[in-house]
Amino acid sequence: MTLLSATDITVRDGAARLVAPVSLELHPGEPLVILGETGSGKSLLAQAIMGTLPASLRATGTVRIGGCTLLAEDRAAFRGLWGRQIAVLPQEPWLSLDPLMRAGPQVAEAHRLVAGLPAAAARNRAAEELAALGLDTAAARYPHELSGGMAQRVAIAAARAGGASLVIADEPTKGLDAARRDDVAALLLAALTRSGGLLVITHDLALARRIGGRLMVLRDGAVVETGATSAVLSAPQAAYTRDLIAADPESWSRRVAPSEAGQAVLEARNLTLSRGGQRLVDGLTLELRAGRILGITGPSGCGKSSLGDALLGLLTPERGHITRARGLAPTAFQKLWQDPVAAFPRTRRLGQTLRDVARLHAAPPERIGGLLERLRLDSALLSRRPAAVSGGELQRLALLRAMLANPRFIFADEPTSRLDPITQREVIGLLADLARTDGLAIALVSHDPVLIDRVCDETCSLPMKRGEHDTLECSDLLRTAIG
Amino acid sequence: MTILVSRLVQALVVALLVGAATFAMMRSLPGDAAWRIAAGRYGYDNVNAAAAEAVRAELGLDGPWLGAFLQWMGDLFRLDFGVSLVSGQPVIAEIGHQLGASLWLALAAVGLSLVIGPPLGILAGLRPGSLFDRTLLVVSTALKAVPQFLMALILILVLSVQLGWLPAAGYGQPRHFILPAFALALGLAAVNARIARDAMAGVVAMPFYDFAQWKGLSRAQVLWRHGLRNVSVPLLTYLGLQFVLLVEGVVVIESIVGWPGIGHALVHAVFARDVPMVQGTALMLGLGFVMVNALIDLLAARIDPRGAR
Repeated sequence: MTLLSATDITVRDGAARLVAPVSLELHPGEPLVILGETGSGKSLLAQAIMGTLPASLRATGTVRIGGCTLLAEDRAAFRGLWGRQIAVLPQEPWLSLDPLMRAGPQVAEAHRLVAGLPAAAARNRAAEELAALGLDTAAARYPHELSGGMAQRVAIAAARAGGASLVIADEPTKGLDAARRDDVAALLLAALTRSGGLLVITHDLALARRIGGRLMVLRDGAVVETGATSAVLSAPQAAYTRDLIAADPESWSRRVAPSEAGQAVLEARNLTLSRGGQRLVDGLTLELRAGRILGITGPSGCGKSSLGDALLGLLTPERGHITRARGLAPTAFQKLWQDPVAAFPRTRRLGQTLRDVARLHAAPPERIGGLLERLRLDSALLSRRPAAVSGGELQRLALLRAMLANPRFIFADEPTSRLDPITQREVIGLLADLARTDGLAIALVSHDPVLIDRVCDETCSLPMKRGEHDTLECSDLLRTAIG
Repeated sequence: MTILVSRLVQALVVALLVGAATFAMMRSLPGDAAWRIAAGRYGYDNVNAAAAEAVRAELGLDGPWLGAFLQWMGDLFRLDFGVSLVSGQPVIAEIGHQLGASLWLALAAVGLSLVIGPPLGILAGLRPGSLFDRTLLVVSTALKAVPQFLMALILILVLSVQLGWLPAAGYGQPRHFILPAFALALGLAAVNARIARDAMAGVVAMPFYDFAQWKGLSRAQVLWRHGLRNVSVPLLTYLGLQFVLLVEGVVVIESIVGWPGIGHALVHAVFARDVPMVQGTALMLGLGFVMVNALIDLLAARIDPRGAR
């Protein structure tokens, strides 16, 4: 018996085919993971199956679910499935809850309006479910008073409240740290009952490994490989799958640290930082040396970015001293942002932006060309605007922009958390090269402890601060709770 | 709480500014203020030096300005606005009388604009870029571009003169409300509709709007439960700002249709250099603006708890 079978799903944008005919089946109790890079068409495929494609795209093919057969082009027909047959999990749970409604009613309304319970019963059911997810107090809170992990659990409860047993999650771990990622995986598996279904769309190998079940690798809208998840990940058949796995930090070789330590660029002693009245960093001492890479890890919200701001001189520490090496220009400390798209002016061509920066730092414009070559970037990119360039290229352009300032220290704040594994490997590799060849001191922030272990010479791991425990506490609780 | 304190400070500042400005006006009236005021009071033909001197003594127009200013502001804060230079009646009594008439007109206009504007705007915002959305943009822009006095004149010409459906002017019966209220409401609704449209289009594009549908709620349920609530906050905030536009409109429209309201009184007071009346009406309008916005702040904080912490 199959819960859902999709046959020959194709997605087109005008004449361009974004998803080639793809067929898939979902069986009760067995998760299916669709793995692929950004632009592989994995999200479009899922959206075509759910009937949530943007209006500008056209889908064809058939979807059989719960005894009825739907045509993918007939989007309106899918509406009746939402909440009742398919529970669609949003990418960003925080933004997916109505900011002006308390969490409890957002779950209860689906019980009442979709499943048809009376108002009081719906309220009780919602309260029970939230309590079972470890969210006893969350029902009366507004979304802005919830942590990201709590919002995710509220969203799961709300998505399933209508009675749907088939959960579809599109990139459920986007931008989450490792601990939260495992939490989400546990949550999804807990939601998978023996008769229910689970479809997970992701680029995250670790998530795929945790979810298990069956795996489908997608590239350029076509299926590259399918099979049992554990089998595909341990013995990939297709060359592309091998590349994808090789790009996972787990399989990187450890960077060899430069033998002699370079000059100290920055020293921080007994650093204590607070933001918004909350103590983030307490009595931290560290040293950055030319050519060395310092890894900074810690859970979301533990103060990694604030530490960066302090090192860059943008945040005054509450206590302690930060000493820069003598004779460094004020602009010798640069930052690489997490979201490269947000770090460039949207309406200007990239070439204009970079030439402006070069002029500001009195660098000859030819340096741009030289750096383009070193960072393996095509000079044709310069005539484009940020939105028309891939995330990996844009992050390398951001690195180029930082290099124009002749930096001695770069604070890289999760520079690859929004990039695909293959692109991530490339960008991190370039950063490490620059540290060696140009004698840069680099502080690399990542939520991936494995990546930090492979690349960095030293590691500074920030502890979780109080009040954040609620995001991690109950992976085990969850397994028993829902279902 | 902080909302109320800041609005209270604002009210004080308004009172100070209005008091100081009207005092300066009083002092700098061209010519001999006493003669002017006496002329306003008794008619140009009946003014003589004795009457002017009487006015001068009564209003203390000769004294040193600092003492006069302090006394002026003191009176203001005791809510003693003095006596109208023209009618000789206490200003507070005159204003109390006119404020009621204006308030009803303003309420009718705002109510009407809310019935017309936001529903159309929300409809357009649900389908941004549709034919209806583009039509509404053109119509609302055109309506907004018509000055209110012209709007009133057009309505009078069409509805009263040509069709004879409504009285061109007058006060006292419900049917007298229709024309001036419409003339005011169309301009307000034109902008209301734009604000509602942009807010709705923004809400529809938010992930939570999609997610509410994925939960299984129907379009109407999502609009009712999640759309309107989120649209109401920017709309409400704008309503507070629109008060300025409303006052401006009331002043003009009242003069055109002969509505015995505060705007009408303000215009007459300005023409007659009746400074105490100008001060009283300006103060009422200024404090009204502050009060309306304080109420709206409180309401918005109730609907949207995010900013209120």
